[in-house]
Amino acid sequence: MPDDLRHVRFCAWNGMIFMFVFMVFWGMMGGNLPPWGGDQPASVIAHYFRANRDLVRTGMVVSMTFTVCYAVWGLAIGKVMRHAAGRESILVDLQVWGAGLTVVPVLVSSSFWLAGAYRPDTLPDAILQLLYDMAWLLIDLAYSVTSVQMIALGVGFLQDERHRPLMPKWVCWYSIWVGVMFVAECLMPFFKSGPFARQGILNFWIEFSIFFIYAPVVTWYLVKAIPRLEQEAAGAGAH
Amino acid sequence: MLARTDEITVTRRAALPGDPGVWVFILADMAAFALFFLLFTLGRIGAPDLFEHGRRTLNVGLGLANTLILLTSSWAMVQAVAAARVADRIRTVRFLWLTLAVGSGFAVSKIAEYAAKAQAGISMLTNDFYMYYFVLTGIHFFHFLIGCAAIAVTLTKARTQLIDGRFRVWIESVGCYWHMVDLLWIMLFPLLYLQRAA
Repeated sequence: MPDDLRHVRFCAWNGMIFMFVFMVFWGMMGGNLPPWGGDQPASVIAHYFRANRDLVRTGMVVSMTFTVCYAVWGLAIGKVMRHAAGRESILVDLQVWGAGLTVVPVLVSSSFWLAGAYRPDTLPDAILQLLYDMAWLLIDLAYSVTSVQMIALGVGFLQDERHRPLMPKWVCWYSIWVGVMFVAECLMPFFKSGPFARQGILNFWIEFSIFFIYAPVVTWYLVKAIPRLEQEAAGAGAH
Repeated sequence: MLARTDEITVTRRAALPGDPGVWVFILADMAAFALFFLLFTLGRIGAPDLFEHGRRTLNVGLGLANTLILLTSSWAMVQAVAAARVADRIRTVRFLWLTLAVGSGFAVSKIAEYAAKAQAGISMLTNDFYMYYFVLTGIHFFHFLIGCAAIAVTLTKARTQLIDGRFRVWIESVGCYWHMVDLLWIMLFPLLYLQRAA
């Protein structure tokens, strides 16, 4: 029985919806692009929550609402990936589960930022700093679930035996590389300043940039792969 | 028959060794390390005395031994790839074992070096020099472990699967990665252990 690809295109675009919301609402409105440094005193973090409570609240509410788009995107990838890795390949499940589980740390950490902005006037500075730290520690250190998705995606699409693969090989290897590079997030809890702190060049600027490139590139080739699969199904039906 | 072999050789020489996609991984990794080297250099310009003092505490002998270990291991890998190209399973397996056996010396030496630093109470939090030393060599060591795992998989494939075109692409890809691990260490060794403050 051929795959039903009717809604997959919409689900694939959810990757871009997630990225847009993540950058604008979580990043810019939430005050996380770039983050406050780990070496900033509690009073600075507290002032940020108190002065921008409504901005942060709005940013996190929208961010939490649309975080699920990442899982929807992962399911669309899985649907296409079955045609490259094989219908029963565990790589497809790993990719889908990795994408699905990525939603959890993004949701939970966003709720910490939201909690900080909920009643910042009555909370002491140190508690507001703790909420901000907890959110960043969780979102960075939950990298491994996303790494599972990225590595499984890369390895899975590399199994494609088409002359022109559904996902170009360079994208597969880039995906594997990004998944491996995320391990550098392990350094982040040990530093409050410098290149390996949460606001540092490696742990923020490089890690987030390579992720911001990864998701749109995968979405682009995913959307291009869907009509090809439809053509293949139509061709198979005609025979 | 001879003409056909020549034709294949010419075609293969024109192409990148291994899967072209692997080069994306390698180039991305090299770019990341290039940035680390730049960060280290900027750090050193900012605190030349501290970095020079830290450099003097590193064991140059072990650093040099690691360089020779990785170069020898890379040579064994080249031999394994050459053997795979002529479908010589026995030599392929033998040289892959040699690559792994010699390469594992790097792990022994690196762990000994880390242990000595830990015993002296030095960690990546001691100062900026040791931060770069532990992080850069640590990330390199992580790459080394991935390489070892890839060679172990190649060894299993060489023993159990057909030594065909597909296997040759695989082993060439692993070989390129292994040379990258080697090359990165060749950059790290002078940068961390040898280069004196101006």
